[in-house]
Amino acid sequence: MRIDLKTILQRTVSSLYGDLVTRPTGQAVRGGIEQVLEALDGEQIAVIDFGTVGCLDISCADEVVGKLLLQHGQARYFLLHGVAASHCEAIEHVLERHRLAVVARDREGRVRVLGPMDETARLAFTLLSDRGPADADELASRLSLPPEAVQQALEALRGQRLVQRSADGYMALSA
Amino acid sequence: MTRVVEVPAQLDDRSFDQFARAFADPSGRRLLFDAHATQWASPYGLVGLLAAGQAATERGPERPLLTIPGDRDVAHYWGRAGFFEHAAEWFEIHGKVPRVKPAHSSDVLLEITPVRGTDDVHSVVEAIQARSAAILSGELGLEATATMGFAMALSEACQNIVEHAGTSGWVAVQAYHWRRRLGRRVVVIAVADAGVGFRHSLEATQASRYGDRWSDATALEAALFQGASRFRDPGRGQGLGGIARYVNRWSGKLSVRSGTARIAIVPAWDDDNPLTDGLPAFPGSQVLMIIPAQQPE
Repeated sequence: MRIDLKTILQRTVSSLYGDLVTRPTGQAVRGGIEQVLEALDGEQIAVIDFGTVGCLDISCADEVVGKLLLQHGQARYFLLHGVAASHCEAIEHVLERHRLAVVARDREGRVRVLGPMDETARLAFTLLSDRGPADADELASRLSLPPEAVQQALEALRGQRLVQRSADGYMALSA
Repeated sequence: MTRVVEVPAQLDDRSFDQFARAFADPSGRRLLFDAHATQWASPYGLVGLLAAGQAATERGPERPLLTIPGDRDVAHYWGRAGFFEHAAEWFEIHGKVPRVKPAHSSDVLLEITPVRGTDDVHSVVEAIQARSAAILSGELGLEATATMGFAMALSEACQNIVEHAGTSGWVAVQAYHWRRRLGRRVVVIAVADAGVGFRHSLEATQASRYGDRWSDATALEAALFQGASRFRDPGRGQGLGGIARYVNRWSGKLSVRSGTARIAIVPAWDDDNPLTDGLPAFPGSQVLMIIPAQQPE
């Protein structure tokens, strides 16, 4: 399910706006996202589309990403789509504050995790994202790391709802 | 009886404490801001002067007086920067106000603009993106993505007024060549208000942690380095830190003055103090952000 932020911004705040700035704007947009989420199964990935968003400031990022993850990240999958480099700066700042992480696809189609993360978990996620589903043993072999450490990292990623279980082991979130 | 507050010949961040000292005397007399001999005013100086006018109006029975610069070019510049459009509300103006409309140009990226609510922040952000992209990437050598970061920093600085000042304020953005001070072009954001200031804004949530040490200086430290906020929401208080991160990335300067203290992120090219306490009291908060042209490696 794709949730277009600019459409929500213009529906909930003003049809004239194209930037996600100010905390009240972020609160209104988060409310709009939460309305869409009500119709979504918990196992479906909510793709939050930043593709047509101009400026994103930290206050708005805190509402639209930080608080959204704090309140729904335990029970839902989120993927940020179409994020620009400038969006990443604001989002990373917020994620560091809350010690959260989220999967993001940039405008060139590259997928990565934003937010603070253990290095083994980051490497494991990158491999899953680049090469497709795999189990802990396969990833451990590719990374030259102990399988137990990789298994632990994968379970941590799963707990943060950044990867899902698959028939082959684990797979990175994608839409 | 009126008391004369001499506006410095060069009204900018460097002379602002001198201006604040002249302003601070709480004698209760009507003030006359004498800018007749003023030769230059930076955006920081102009928005600070408006804040002084607002504070004087609100504490006295009459608006203060203001004599405008005698130099025609200086007065015209103040007009183009949008000063007189807002000054009439807070000053009884003496002197011939030039008939020039506020207009942005290659230098005045954002004329003095009032910030009263979130709608104003949206307008400011939209305007600055359209006007500053060419300057930031073309003339200052910043990456194209830096334009958005610049708008983000501007947005956070303006929201500081809306969220914490308890009153309205002003913002201005200008590009110019700092020949003597730096030898490079810079873009300057100046934001000022005559509101409650950081110490008062943070008092309820932070003062008890500091005990006797609680002051304008510790309030600024708490806000800039610890992300302290008057709200108990853990997501609050990230704005100034975000501005500091942006400024650091582009070797810029951030200075925040409130009450009797000023805190600064000081780049290698500047000689300001990171923290200055015991300054002449001035109402509200004044934020200065300077992004210099990048030097080729």
